[in-house]
Parts: sequence; structure tokens; C-alpha cells
Amino acid sequence: MAQAPARIAVPAATAAATGPLVPARAERSLWTDAWRQLVANKLALAGLVVIVAFFLAALLGPALAPYDFLAKSGTSALAPPSREHLFGTDALGRDIFSRMLYGARSAAFVALTTTSISLVLGVAIGAAAAFLGPRVDGWLMWLTDVTMSIPSILLAMLINTALKYRFSNWFDAMYQQTRNKFFLNTWWLDFVLVFGAIALISWPMYARLIRSQAKAVSASLYVEAARASGASTRRIMSHHLVPNSLGPVIVAVTQGMGAAVLLESSLSFLGIGIQPPNASWGSMLRDSLDLWRSFPHLMVVPAVTIAVIQLAFIFFGDGLNDALNPRQRRV
Amino acid sequence: MLLYLVTRLLRSGLGLLLILFVAYAMMFYGAGDPIKRMFLDKDDLPPDEIAMQALREKYGLDEPFLVQFGNYLGNLAHGNLGVSIRAQRTVSDMVRASLPISLQIGVSATILATLLGIPLGIFAARHHNTATDYAIVAGVTAFNAVPVFVLGPILILLFVSFLGVMKVPYGWDGLFSSKAILPVAVLMMAPLPVVVRQTRAAILEVRNEDYIRTARAKGLSERDVAIRHMLRPVLLPVVTSVGLVAITLVNGAIFVELIFGIPGFGGLTIEGLKTVDYPVIMATVLIGALVVMISNLLVDVAYPLLDARVTKGV
Repeated sequence: MAQAPARIAVPAATAAATGPLVPARAERSLWTDAWRQLVANKLALAGLVVIVAFFLAALLGPALAPYDFLAKSGTSALAPPSREHLFGTDALGRDIFSRMLYGARSAAFVALTTTSISLVLGVAIGAAAAFLGPRVDGWLMWLTDVTMSIPSILLAMLINTALKYRFSNWFDAMYQQTRNKFFLNTWWLDFVLVFGAIALISWPMYARLIRSQAKAVSASLYVEAARASGASTRRIMSHHLVPNSLGPVIVAVTQGMGAAVLLESSLSFLGIGIQPPNASWGSMLRDSLDLWRSFPHLMVVPAVTIAVIQLAFIFFGDGLNDALNPRQRRV
Repeated sequence: MLLYLVTRLLRSGLGLLLILFVAYAMMFYGAGDPIKRMFLDKDDLPPDEIAMQALREKYGLDEPFLVQFGNYLGNLAHGNLGVSIRAQRTVSDMVRASLPISLQIGVSATILATLLGIPLGIFAARHHNTATDYAIVAGVTAFNAVPVFVLGPILILLFVSFLGVMKVPYGWDGLFSSKAILPVAVLMMAPLPVVVRQTRAAILEVRNEDYIRTARAKGLSERDVAIRHMLRPVLLPVVTSVGLVAITLVNGAIFVELIFGIPGFGGLTIEGLKTVDYPVIMATVLIGALVVMISNLLVDVAYPLLDARVTKGV
């Protein structure tokens, strides 16, 4: 026993004498590695910059907006872009740049909330399917398949129609009974409806991912090794299952957020999402449908913004996938 | 295979039943009374309780939920989709008038995407990791990222206002009129990148396989190698991806038809939901889900035929 340290010390001493064979470098974890890769990928980096700008615009919207997004200036309705109004004004004379900033606020709010809701739903259902036995698994996956076989926009429209009438009736009744002004102000009702609709159509994606990740990781050799060496379920969960399935989940959440932004503007475009007076890119686009022939700026501004944000989410998601899931890297 | 098909059909059928039940429950408990909605929408009609009750009885809307749903299923089993409350026409007629238009657009978009996507994918793979490759992949991705309701107006703006090569495409004059060009082109952008990416990835994977090298080594021409050995494994993911875009096509149709004023299935969906017309909503949900389920089923059946290694659905 006493010899052991000495035996180890020998190569160390020779290494010190001849110089290290491998140049010394800082320890690199998966995360620092992933970050390096991400930064090296120009498209992904550009996507990240756009996404950060989008969330900053949403956060700082009220401070950045030159005008109130509801303020009408009757004299300059439908004005083209100018120094005074960066993106021009709309049919009611409202400043489009300010409305875009508030639209970013709606979109970011919806994206963050619906992604959280559907992620929680997806994790619960996916984990239940993976760990509660084959019978539960069969039923839950059937439910997932069934939900996925309804065209998502159709389902969202259905949910929206069903919830809206109920909720507004309920609010009316509450106002009649309590005479509380709170129940008259229903601007946030749109958001609740949109949250419900988008979250209910987005969870299957997360549920499938979580289930397959949980199954793949818990069948892996290193989990078996950990179990054989006596690790508790909790330790296996926190040290093996969660860290190893985190990469794909982060990628899915990024892509899901982009999809939620898109769904919000889609629903608003169809007139069942965020309603006026709230600002939404989708409804701005819809309002422009009658006017764009004479006033193209009405359509170009929201259309290009939506396109750029979508591209940013796609490129960033792809880059993130390459960086975080090196084994799945595409050819 | 037969057992697999039977269980598969049972699963789908049960799923369809669940979808119909939930949809009907959402209408019944959520969306409210379509008769009252109709009276409220028409200003010249005062909401007369007796007239409304008579109409409710006529459409069987005064029954309890389960009876109504049972009646609906019974009629459905006889192929009867019911009568539209607003339009006063049978829903079958409305579907017969609108669905073929949407199917024409959807199917031609899929075919065009496949015909264009496979060569593009092969071309990109041939020039793997060159500027050509990146341009093709990034280009189709960009078109896919831009939602239909953004791409549609932008293309109209480009072709009508700036280039002036066509009149505003609004309405429907059949598939082979100039009005159909933009709708089909816009709808095609959804499946196109999927086909290109899948073809490209499949070729890159296959071209280094041993049996391809063997085929070359035994003296087959490049053309024979491509047709006899590469085509099959490449077709597999492409067929899958084409089958799985059905859902995107139904979603896209709703927007495309709104933008281009096409009286198709998407328009029927929007109109039905706006007026809470139970039979119309149920028909659109039924058909939407059926289209997706059938195409998924076709993919699963085609899979083992194209790849002997797959014996049943994964």
C-alpha cells in the first residue's frame, strides 16, 4: 500500500522533466464545447442575435416606442415611412413602429407562456408513459397520436371557438353579480384563449420527445452501471437521466418557441387570436389585406418581421442541435 | 402484417371516435347555441323564443348531449353528414363542392414538391458542402420558415404590383387557370424543404455504403448504380416525408384559401366555426382528421413494401 503513491509519482516526475506530452488546456464541459460550436456557426449566431433583439424589444417596448401604440394621429393616416414615423402609420394613423414593438410584446409573452405550459404537460405525460408501465404507455401514446392527427390550426380554431363563448359569458355573469369593473376589462382574455389553444396543440411533441429520451437513457449501459453500483433512483435521475436528456429538450424548446410565435400570429391573422386593441403582428397583417395594393408598407413591415424571426429561430435551433447533440449531427 | 393492419385500423378508428366526441362536446358545452347565434347575427330577426325553439327541434338541438351525439353518429354511419343550419344545404353537398378544389391544390402542390425536391436534393448531395449545396438547403429552408400567410401576400405584391405579370389572383377558375399558379406555389413551399433535405441526407448516407462500392467495383455504370441501388433507400424517407406533410397541407389550405379567395375546404372550415354551424364544424373536423390518418396509414403500409428490413410499423 505504501508503494502506491510512489508508483504514481514516477510518471509525473518524468513528465515534469520532459515537458507535458499533451499541451495543458482548461477542462471543457459539454456546455463550453457547445457554446464554442454555436459561436463558430455564423447562421446560428445571427439567429441568436435576432432572438435576443426580439425579446429585448418585447421587454423594453414601452420605453422604446416613440408613440403610444393606440394613439391616433388623424392628420397622418396611412403615411409612408418617414423620419417622423419610422415604419409609417396605419389606417387609423397609429405609428406602425410602436405597434410592432407592442406586437413583439404579445408574441414574446405568448411564446414564453405557452412553451412553459406545453412543456410541463409534455414532461408529465411523457414521463408517465415512460415509467408507469406498458399499459399506461399504450394509452398515452394513443392519445398523443390522436391529438397529432387533427390539423393543428383546425384544433386551435375549435378550442378558441369553444372557450371564447364560455369565458365571455362567464365574465358577463360575474360582472352582473359583482359589479366589479375587473370583469369588464377582458383584454387579457384573448391571451388566455390563445394560451389554451396553443398549449393544447403543442404538448404531443414534447411528450413524445420526453418519453423517447427517458426510455433511451434509462436503457443505456451507464444507467445500468449506476444502478448496479447501488445508486438510488433519485441519484440516477439527477445525475444521469436529466443531464443526458437535457440537450434534445433544450433544442425542442427553442424550436417550440419559434412555433408558438408563428401560431400566435397565425391565429391573430385568422382573427381568433389577439384581438384589437391589443397589438399583434398577425392581425396587423390581416388588416393590411385590403390596403396593401396602395400602401405596401402596411404589409411589408409585419411580413418581413415574422419571416426574419422565424428564420432566426430555425437557424438558431439547428445550430443548437448540432452543438448540443453531437451524436445526431447531420451530414 | 394483417394483424398489424387490423390493430392499426382499430386504433385509428377509436381515435377518430374520440376526436368526434371531443369536438361535439366542445361545440355543445363551449360554443353555445347555433340557433341563438343565427338570430343575433341577423339584425332584422328579433330573437323570438318560440321560433328558436321550433328550429332547435327541427335540427334536434333540444336533445341532451349524448342523444344528440348518438344521433350524429347514427347519421354518419349512413353517410349522412347532416344539414347546415346556416346555409340550409346538406353538408355533403357543401363538402362535395369545396373539398375537390382543396384536394386539387394540395395534391398538385405535393406532386410538384416531390418532382422539384428530389432533383434538388440529389443535386445538393452531388455538390456536398459546396456553395451550391448551402444555397439550395438554405434557400428551401428560408421559404419554409416564412409562413404561408406571409409568403402569399409578398408573392402577390411582387408579381402583381412590382413585376406586373399577372392580375390579382382571387377566386377559382379550375386548376389550369393562371389564378391557380400562386396558391399551388405557396402551398408547395411547405413540403419542398422536407423532400430536399430527406433526399439529400439519404443520398449522403447511402453513397458510402459497401454495396454501392461493390456495385461500382463490379463495373456498373453510374446510371445503373443510381437507379438499381441508390433509388430505393432514397425513396424510403422521401415517401415518409411526403406522407407526413398532409397535416401541413390542411393547415396551409386554410390560409391559402383565405388569401386567394378560393372557395375550398379551408373556407368552409372558417365559415363553419364563425357561425357555430355544428354539422359543418363536425364535417371539417372529420375530414381533416381523416386526411391525416389515411396518409399516415399509407406511409406505414408503403414502408415495408419499399424496405424489406421493416416488417411492421415502428
